[in-house]
Amino acid sequence: MTLSKTIYKWLDDRFKLRELLPPIVKHPAPEYAVSNPLYCLGGTAFLCFLILATTGIFLAMYYKPTPAEAYKSVERIMLEVPMGSLIRSVHHWAANTMIAAVMLHMIRVYFMGAYKRPRELNWVVGVFLFLTTTTFGFSGYLLPWDQLAYWATKIGTGIAGSIPVMGQYISLILIGGNDLGAETLTRFYAIHVLILPAAIITLLLLHFLMVRIQGISGRL
Amino acid sequence: MAMTNKELHGTEEHEHEPVRIRGLPFFPHFLLREVVVMCLVAGSLILLASVYPAGLLKPADPFDTPSPIYPEWYFLYVFGFLKFWTYNIGPIEAKIIGVTVPMVLWYGLLILVPFIDRNPSTDIRKRKIAVVLGIIALLGILYFTYYSIVYH
Ligand code: HEM
Repeated sequence: MTLSKTIYKWLDDRFKLRELLPPIVKHPAPEYAVSNPLYCLGGTAFLCFLILATTGIFLAMYYKPTPAEAYKSVERIMLEVPMGSLIRSVHHWAANTMIAAVMLHMIRVYFMGAYKRPRELNWVVGVFLFLTTTTFGFSGYLLPWDQLAYWATKIGTGIAGSIPVMGQYISLILIGGNDLGAETLTRFYAIHVLILPAAIITLLLLHFLMVRIQGISGRL
Repeated sequence: MAMTNKELHGTEEHEHEPVRIRGLPFFPHFLLREVVVMCLVAGSLILLASVYPAGLLKPADPFDTPSPIYPEWYFLYVFGFLKFWTYNIGPIEAKIIGVTVPMVLWYGLLILVPFIDRNPSTDIRKRKIAVVLGIIALLGILYFTYYSIVYH
């Protein structure tokens, strides 16, 4: 018996893999979805997310979320940390690619009418995924604490703050004071690495569960 | 290999009935194809990252406003709309409309899409209104993005 068979049998004895795996592994992917590259966009967005999570963990090992240290730590990642520049640049490009892929995925779902009954709720979850993804971008933009980061966030929070009714609370929650500063930076960091990942993982679980239960919609 | 399999299955045509059974088994054929796409995407990202590394400007200085300041490209349309809309409607200030429309109303509208569009057809030729509205929305976003760059 080969090693892989031995391991399979050992697991099978305990977890009944023989009953569990076939529905997952043999589940057919419909051919119209396999042959049309437009159906790759959701998967591409997901792959980008996985790359972002991995590179993000490495960045978090060197990044320091305080106004005094943030810029220096990013500079250090770019100049001194081995592969640091590559990791940060891949994080940067994966973020932009993910947003583009999510937008194109949404456009494909819209024009194929894939949001129609019974998939209405998956579209709603999708819109929240889109919001979460762009908020990831918004919060990550501030973290290097360079001129662009600071001033773009200043304007961005200003705009969000002038939304009627909700605005003042949004800007209070985001800025944590009267002006951008240490509070803002730690908040944005917490949002970027704790709150949004938890949110997106929950939403993705729902999203994929619904796709799995309802199947991919067919026909153009 | 996954490709040949697809071709084999692709010869039969049943256009208008549910086709959940036919197709490639998830493992290994579908997964193999996914892995190929994933390698292409990951490779392109590494290539882009090596050729165009992420930038870093001067450290933040609250007393020195640089110009121009651009947000991320996917927020440009919000800025564009805010610049574009200079008309008060009754007692509502232009600026309020300028922030509410691209952020609150736009997302609200997106969430409601499946509940507004009650047409059951997924045939693109029978969805003229939805398609036209979708194209108008896309052109609008593109236009306001362009506007935010040109009238900076
Ligand atoms: C983080 C972002 C997202 C990821 C990773 C993701 C992933 C996926 C994947 C892998 C599928 C399977 C089919 C395909 O890939 O085309 C799918 C289907 C779907 N997605 Fe997304 N998605 C995301 C965002 C969105 C957004 C923003 C919307 C729309 C507002 C959306 C609406 C849908 C719908 C309605 C389906 C079912 C389509 C069908 O059955 O043909 N998703 N998603």
